[in-house]
Amino acid sequence: MNARETAWRLFSSELNTATHEIKGTDEKSPSYVVTHLGAMVNRVLVAGVLTEKENVGSEDEPMWRGRIQDLASGNFFINIGRYQPEAAKAIADIDAPEFVAVIGKVKTYTTEDERVFVSIRPERIIKITEEIRMQWILDAAKSTWIRLNQMKKATAIEDVSEKDLITAGFDQKYAQGITTALDQYGIPNSTTYLKTIQTALRTILPDKNIDLGLPEDMSQVPDEIDIEPGATAQNNSDLEDTILNLLEELDTDGKGAPRDELERRAETAGISSMELEEISNILMDKGLVYEPNLRYLKRI
Amino acid sequence: MNTEELIPHFEEMKKVLNGKIDDDQLRKELDTYLNAYHVTIEAAKRGIMRKYGVGDTSSFVTANTISKKVGDLKGNEMNVDITAKTVYVDKKEITVRGNQKIIISGIIGDETGTAPFTIWEGENVELEKGEIYLFKNAYTKKWNDRVQINLGSRGKIEPIKDIKIDVTEKTITIDSQDMKIGDIHDGVGNVTVSGRIISVEARNIIVKEEPKVVYSGIIADNSGKIQFSAWNDYGLKEGESICVKNAYIRAWRGIPQLNLGDKCEVSRIDDSFGQIDATASKKTVADIIKIGGGLDISVTGTVVDLRTGSGLIKRCPECNRSVLNDQCTTHGQITPVLDLRMKLVIDDGTGAISAIVNCEDTTKLTGITLEAAKGLAQAKGEIEVVGRDMAPLIIMKKITVTGNVMSDDYGPMMIVKSANIEKTDVIAEAEKLYNDVEAAL
Repeated sequence: MNARETAWRLFSSELNTATHEIKGTDEKSPSYVVTHLGAMVNRVLVAGVLTEKENVGSEDEPMWRGRIQDLASGNFFINIGRYQPEAAKAIADIDAPEFVAVIGKVKTYTTEDERVFVSIRPERIIKITEEIRMQWILDAAKSTWIRLNQMKKATAIEDVSEKDLITAGFDQKYAQGITTALDQYGIPNSTTYLKTIQTALRTILPDKNIDLGLPEDMSQVPDEIDIEPGATAQNNSDLEDTILNLLEELDTDGKGAPRDELERRAETAGISSMELEEISNILMDKGLVYEPNLRYLKRI
Repeated sequence: MNTEELIPHFEEMKKVLNGKIDDDQLRKELDTYLNAYHVTIEAAKRGIMRKYGVGDTSSFVTANTISKKVGDLKGNEMNVDITAKTVYVDKKEITVRGNQKIIISGIIGDETGTAPFTIWEGENVELEKGEIYLFKNAYTKKWNDRVQINLGSRGKIEPIKDIKIDVTEKTITIDSQDMKIGDIHDGVGNVTVSGRIISVEARNIIVKEEPKVVYSGIIADNSGKIQFSAWNDYGLKEGESICVKNAYIRAWRGIPQLNLGDKCEVSRIDDSFGQIDATASKKTVADIIKIGGGLDISVTGTVVDLRTGSGLIKRCPECNRSVLNDQCTTHGQITPVLDLRMKLVIDDGTGAISAIVNCEDTTKLTGITLEAAKGLAQAKGEIEVVGRDMAPLIIMKKITVTGNVMSDDYGPMMIVKSANIEKTDVIAEAEKLYNDVEAAL
């Protein structure tokens, strides 16, 4: 049965960190982006504030790009082209900022430096009221909470397999999603998602002092990194030194520093994994470090 | 696989290997195959047999295949030989991707159990009921928790003489399983259900040119309701509660129906159903996809799309079918009647369902009346404008719809009898979620 794919309600923090895609083998089998919480996402239903839109095509053949903020600091990226005629017509009449909802398919693309980005191709984009926006935040928070609990249930089983999950009452697709997520990303950090739920509840209940007792200083993943050479040069060179020192320290056997170890140490030094990525790129450009293979980074 | 589960395989192999390797060596081999390489037990056995040269002479390994009793089939065998007696055989012609094809299906069994089978290349195969055959190079699958035996192009059928097989008793009357009415779906086989008769009427029909009376109606328990047809007169009355043993299920366009056939037993029971919600049973879309369809089902979800064919449409005044231009496929050139309707896609986060909403409910949900729609269409000189204007009024609305659901290749579809905008108290629900999360941390 070619039943229509479910539209997942999820926050950008979950969608944008997904990097693994299960490609459909033929026209009829759909592709899925697998999130850290095990959602196999082909279609999404998201809402928020359209903060900017731009026609990067032409007057005759528009190609719209836009950014929708779901919660403070989180953004969905949308692309509307000629194959989304309904959405293309609709977005032309929507001016930013505006509350909007989008139903669409997710697509990933990989940059030259191997980073994966997720964007949405809307089938529908419509203006909504603030009330419906709050309703969506609630739905997405509830659904995130359910996935978090299901993931917890799954990881409680030792060496969990798809079959184990089906026996435990998961449907086949969800079981596949969870095992794929665990294979690809490992056990997810629940604090990240609890923080998102906390932000969602604070948005809906601004007067209530919502506090889940989570570490406040956890670095929010920046949605885009624009390191401008001039402005942050000083700061950067400090960070570069820190990383270079770490590389030397972690290179115990001459093979270089293992990436996962480097990431952990960098994080304790207050450098997020995305910043680390950026800094190591700069260092590679400068010819100070190289990658003997994908898992290692070595100082020259 | 743990040690305990391994014991029967270990013993079986020991017998076949007949002292060619000692126990420790065999244990080590099995451990290597199963735990270091994670292959299936079948593959492990085959590999070890091959290695120690007992493959071709073995009692249970022939070339690459393993022989199994019907009752031992797991539903994941890739290549298996089965010697069994045919309990039931049916040859039929089906269409596969536009090509006519003859398949043979039925039931085979031995003293350990029975299972349905399908021979996919049935062109030159003749099977007699009650005879014993070797099904060579078969593969098995699991469907609705039952093992199915398949014989594809690699498969072979060989009649076996000189042996006797007694098919187990329980197979002849296929297991009847106790079920709640709401859980019944197409393909469950025989069922035993209890429920209260909501309605019943006698209908005269013709079966194989013979007039016959069937008693059909609706029976319900607190999980749902289902249409039934009794092919014999059990004196069923509205309002009484009955237990139906050995009824069978047939589905029409995904809607399962309960049939009380010749093997069926009906007994009166005490009514323990209390208040049966005769109006509708609440389900998620995932539930509906699982059962295929049903009567008076309610579902709540968000409207995620308005499909073409929504808004102002033209209908044939004779047959009420929707028409394009002014041509009816049955009645030719007509003067169409205008009507308002919506073809919605509703998604509740567990799946998506199509829903067809009539004129009255369309007005209720969108505020657009038939008159207003006609006026708008006239002003713009086209009728499609109505559907376009309607989309932003209904998409993203959370609604509850109730009606009969059926399924086809594109998923479930509901003919909506009633529809309402769902009002949620976001603040209260957010507070509830906060409490849930806090309590769990």
